[in-house]
Amino acid sequence: MRVVITGMGIVSPIGTGVDQFWNAAINGVSGITSIRSFDASSQHSRVAGEITEFNPADFLSAKQVEQTDRFTQLALQAASQAMADAGSLDSYQPRRLAVSLGSGMGGFSTFESSATRRLQKKSIPPFSVPRIMANSAAAWIATKYGLKGVNLTCSTACSSGANAIGMALDLLRSGKADAVVTGGAEACVLPLTMTGFEALQALSIGFNADPSRASRPFATGRDGFVMGEGAGILILEKEEEAIKRGAKIYAQLAGYGCACDATHIVAPDMDGQVAAMQAAIEDAGLTSDQVDYINAHATSTPLGDVIETKAIKQLFGAHAWEIAISATKSMIGHSIGASAAIGSIATIMSLHTGTIHPTINLDEADPQCDLNYTPNFAIQKKVQVGMCNAFGFGGNNASIVFTNL
Amino acid sequence: MDIAELETKVIEFIASKAEKVDASGITTASRLEDLGFDSLDTVQLLFDAEEAFGVNFDGEEVRGLRSVGDIIDYISKHPPTVSS
Repeated sequence: MRVVITGMGIVSPIGTGVDQFWNAAINGVSGITSIRSFDASSQHSRVAGEITEFNPADFLSAKQVEQTDRFTQLALQAASQAMADAGSLDSYQPRRLAVSLGSGMGGFSTFESSATRRLQKKSIPPFSVPRIMANSAAAWIATKYGLKGVNLTCSTACSSGANAIGMALDLLRSGKADAVVTGGAEACVLPLTMTGFEALQALSIGFNADPSRASRPFATGRDGFVMGEGAGILILEKEEEAIKRGAKIYAQLAGYGCACDATHIVAPDMDGQVAAMQAAIEDAGLTSDQVDYINAHATSTPLGDVIETKAIKQLFGAHAWEIAISATKSMIGHSIGASAAIGSIATIMSLHTGTIHPTINLDEADPQCDLNYTPNFAIQKKVQVGMCNAFGFGGNNASIVFTNL
Repeated sequence: MDIAELETKVIEFIASKAEKVDASGITTASRLEDLGFDSLDTVQLLFDAEEAFGVNFDGEEVRGLRSVGDIIDYISKHPPTVSS
């Protein structure tokens, strides 16, 4: 049984809708700017990948806006695109339609604003809890589209979106669902989350005057990741059913692997990354020399990009230099639980179009990062097998393999 | 604000939040339930009213507010405590 992608939707700092996103990505457009959504003057890191032209009132009632956090609103927007793209799922029983979504922080925007009000001894919005809870977005998607089957939310920090897509694959393979709306959503360009990552010295602080150059995976001078936000949604179903209902098929979701470092709560570990990539390739029934493209986790931290490079070399050996690698985060920053869903869409578009988007700001690579990262300009390459990596706090490593049919 | 003015403002406020009726269909005797506010809608309505009228809807008595007149009574008996 093969599982295929039949619909996609995205809200990102470089575009809403797959076409707009992909056109910007292959042209190397940066979505990183000075923070506009709040007064960031007291932050050390004052740049982010924000979604600016987004008004939830365009597609939600006033009541729905009041009852949803921004991460849910972004997820609903991406889901509406993906559902429209996939076409009617009416041939499936509602109880066989599932949702599997990832979010690292859930409704943290509501958490921050409600906590602030509480500390000021003001009342808090009555829907604070259902806005904050991590499964809010999955529940709202189910409610909007009548998806009455399994409804899961995965919160594994930066790998949430990848794990959610992997869980969706498992649901289809195990026969627990016939179609799954999956992906990830995150909206944490916020004072508290950013201060928290600043305290870990994880964010870029040296490019506040030159935001578009701040996210620079694999490049010299990189000094941390840039906070981003967004949502990516995929519609997955079994190939034979998709063909039967006449759906357009983008690619196959062929394999999923995950592994926990079990060593440190935040430090990356090469062995865990190798294990996740290897498991995904084996799960797809492939060998490592068949991988043509890797959408790297590549957050632009000094340590993380080197470890991922080492992991790729460890697993792929000499073939590592033949793989085209690129870092979507160079353009949109790190959207935590949405990042692997967006990276998966970029991977699928590479398979689908034969174009690989660049890693921007890569004028001079770190000597320890010596693979082919598709610097600054898109390339044309036929991609048969593409992999998306996601490595998260908690020592969580997840990789997903997509193939052309 | 005298009581008549408060009544008008509360009715206008409730009308702005109601999905089914406008101000002409609301009197002090109107029950929130009949205006289309279920229990969760009512909680949200009172939260929004805090901002609008500078009153803190707090404590057990809030759960007994059923009609437009109940809300007007409550606001008139509680001095403004919060600022929007």
